[in-house]
Order: sequence, then structure tokens, then C-alpha cells
Amino acid sequence: MKAIFYKEWLKTRWYLLLAAAVTLGTTAYSLMRIARVADMKGIAHVWEVMLSRDVVFVDALEYLPLLVGVLLGLVQFMPEMYHKCLKLTLHLPYKPIRMITLMTAFGTAALAAIFAAACLTMFVYLRGILAPELYGRILLTAAPWFLAGIAGYLTVAWICLEPAWKRRVADMAVAVPMLWIYFLAPAPAAYGAFLPLLAVFTLLTATLAWLSAARFKEGKQD
Amino acid sequence: MENIIECKNLTHYYGKRLIYRDLSFDVPQGRILGLLGKNGTGKTTTINILSGYLRPHAGECSIFGQNIRTMDPALRRRIGLLIEGHVQYQFMTIEQIERFYSAFYPGQWRREAYYDLMEKLKVAPGQRISRMSCGQRSQVALGLIMAQNPDLLVLDDFSLGLDPGYRRLFVDYLRDYAKSENKTVFLTSHIIQDMERLIDDCIVMDYGRILIQQPVDELLATLHRYTCTVPESAAVPADIDGLYHPQTIRTTLETHSFLTAQEVDRRLTEAGIPHGELTAERVTLEDAFIGLTGKY
Repeated sequence: MKAIFYKEWLKTRWYLLLAAAVTLGTTAYSLMRIARVADMKGIAHVWEVMLSRDVVFVDALEYLPLLVGVLLGLVQFMPEMYHKCLKLTLHLPYKPIRMITLMTAFGTAALAAIFAAACLTMFVYLRGILAPELYGRILLTAAPWFLAGIAGYLTVAWICLEPAWKRRVADMAVAVPMLWIYFLAPAPAAYGAFLPLLAVFTLLTATLAWLSAARFKEGKQD
Repeated sequence: MENIIECKNLTHYYGKRLIYRDLSFDVPQGRILGLLGKNGTGKTTTINILSGYLRPHAGECSIFGQNIRTMDPALRRRIGLLIEGHVQYQFMTIEQIERFYSAFYPGQWRREAYYDLMEKLKVAPGQRISRMSCGQRSQVALGLIMAQNPDLLVLDDFSLGLDPGYRRLFVDYLRDYAKSENKTVFLTSHIIQDMERLIDDCIVMDYGRILIQQPVDELLATLHRYTCTVPESAAVPADIDGLYHPQTIRTTLETHSFLTAQEVDRRLTEAGIPHGELTAERVTLEDAFIGLTGKY
């Protein structure tokens, strides 16, 4: 397991550093927007705007986790498909499904760490200036966006590992509406009760990469 | 002698195109077997089936007595795989790739075999594989296989992209390694001259079937190229039993055969071809390959 994580780390370390900087930078920018409004018009105004106009102040983050996840999928899995390098990986004395699971687990854990750091940053700052209901509302609004990042990563892994181009295009056609689920409800905290189910759905998308690996082992091609 | 690879009645299609039907062959322990065939005869298909990356339409293959489709992953420790073009993880350095692979082969990994070869290449441990030439990459791939120390080596078109010097280096290292350690090797290459220095046995494939499977020494001792003069307008049938691809260039007829000169002479006469005295020549492996499969 250590060796598999080592390989994935070598592939993705610079990108992960950049992804963490951009995600945390955008989070900090969103929080600074709140701080600026609070400085200019007082914290009561922030509360009022949040309640009366459904403003969450972190909308800059909406599609960023998805972009970060999709790019991580490309950075991690495109080198595996370069000249069918995946053959080397699946030839190692390790169960193919376990290998693919560990590879995607690495990416999922890395994304989860970056997104958790962003959430923690928001939590630490916001709890000092907002009521629990209000900062909870911001975090619940951002939660499906972060889940979309993980789902985006897992679906890109599925598409990248697919050995046939025609099927890849079909997979992409399925992936787009699948990812759209995470952006269906624009109202703050709209996914509240649905979030646990959405999280389970997100983790289930990890199994899609198994399908591609199985098709790769079967020798499917265009 | 124990068979390391056994393939029985392999049949494969790509779409509706038949690659081969009922292909069967064995590779005994300690032998280096080369699969020779023109482009499109199914060499890479066979390698893909053997390495578990293609399910054949029919038939089955076993390695070390286990069906490759259901093989225990642990058994892959005993199989070294070289992918066409010496592909390796481009993002790793010489040092990182050794560290990565060694973790999968505890108790059998021979670090020094890899670094001995790298020292000869004069590459720095921190050199990235993506910045190496194809020849250098071939040595990295070979070094990793030697360090893995497998019992069976499966090499797909090992000469692809290598200049003559690196090809020779690869062949000499591989043969010395395989013979001194009693390794079994199954390989393909599109450069037949390299194979002659390397392999013990060969399978020559034609479209859809195996033409011959035998030791190279035996093949080169028994197959001859026959030439004779014929009238310029002489019609030569393409299918004379026992003669491979008879063809004329102006007034010279050339064919290859396992038959004796007297027998070839008799068959040409029976086919109604007026001809002069036959000349028999020994052939190289490349001549034998072209003689058996034809120039077109």
C-alpha cells in the first residue's frame, strides 16, 4: 500500500500543492469579502443580508472543487494511459481491484484533506463572527460543491482508465448529468437532509473505475 | 522438460476479422522462444493474451500450470513483463522507480542487478525517465526485470526504437542473464537478425496460423534456399507442395524448402517448369522467415 501511495504521490505532489494553494486562497478571499462587508457596514448587516437575501458569500468556491477534482483525475490517471502504462501497474503482484481502489483512495483522501482544510478555515473564522445557524448554513451550502469535487475526480478516473475511445465519450455523456446533480439547487443549504445520501452516492462512483479496469483487462478497444 | 507456458486452441477475432484459429504452442522451461510474424499476424495479440490483457475468443493459456484469466496475483511475481517500446513510468527517476518496484518483490528483488546496469549507462540516480533516450529506457526496463528476477520473461517487441548498439547490448545482456539463470523467455521483435543471436526456438506465424515451431538450429539446418534459372516467360504456380513461395525475378526462380535438392528438382519438373541446375544455400533466420512467409 505504501508503494502504491508513493507512486501516486510522485505523480500528483506538485499539482496537489497548487490545488491546495488555490482552494485555500479562494476560501480566504471569500472570507475576506465577509470581513470587508462587516468592517464597512457592521456584522449585523452581514447577518441581515444572509437571512433576507440568501447570500452565502462563498459563491466563488462553487465550481472550484469540481475543477480541482477533475484536474487531479487527469494528472493522476493520464500518465497511466500513456502507452498503456496501466499494464505495468496491473501486472504487479497485487489484486487489480485493490490496486485501482488504493489509487482512487489516494486521490479521494488528498482531495478530502484539501477540502477539509478549506472547511476548517471557514469554520474557525466564521464561528467568531456568525451565529451557529448562519455559519452552518454557509458550510452546508458548500458541502455539495466539495462532494462534487470528489465525484468529479472519481468520474474522470473512470473515463481515463476506460480503454476504448467510443466508450469514453459515452461515459462522459453519463458523467455530465451525474455531476450536475451537485448543482441542482441554488438555494443556500438546499441539500441539507439529502447530504448523507449524496455523500454515499459520491463514494459509490469510486466503483466505476473498477469497470474500466476490468474492461482494460479484457482487452476492450475501439 | 516442464512447460512454463501452455496455450491451447487459441482463436481470436477483432470485430469480424480473424487473427488466428486454434493456435496451440508450449514453451518449455529454460528456453528462449521468439514469436516471428509479419505485421498483423497476431504477435502482440498473443503477448496480450499471455500477459492477461486480452480475453481470447476461444481457447486458453496457462502459465506455471495456472489459467492466466484466473491466475493468483502472487504468481505474477514470477513473470517479468516488458511492454512494447520499453514503456515505464515517465514521471519517476532512476532511483524512485527502483524503490517503487522493490516493494512488490520482497525476498526476490536484486537491487544490485539494477544498479550495476545503471552504472554502465552512466545515468544519475536522480535522472527522470521521461528525459532518457529510448535506448537508455530499454536498459532501465531490462534492469528492473533483472532485479525482479522472474522465472518467466515476456517481452513485446523489445527492439522497437533501439539503435543497433542498444539492440546488441540488450540482446547480449538478456541472453547471458537467461542462460546463466535458467530463465524462460517468450518474446517478439520485428528485427529478425537480433532474434538469431538470442532465441533457441521460434514460432513463425502466418496470417491465421502457425507455419512452423522448432529450434532455430534445426530450422537453419534443414531449410534451404533453392535457386535455378528458368525461361523468362515460365509460369510458376504459387502452390507447389513442399515449396514455400516460389517466385521468379526475370530468369531466376527462388524458393525455400525443407526438402532435398533432388526432391525439389523432381517437384519442379512435375509442375512442368523447365529449369536449370538447382543451387541450394544455407539461410539466416531472416532469410528463413521471409522464405516461409513470403515477401508480400
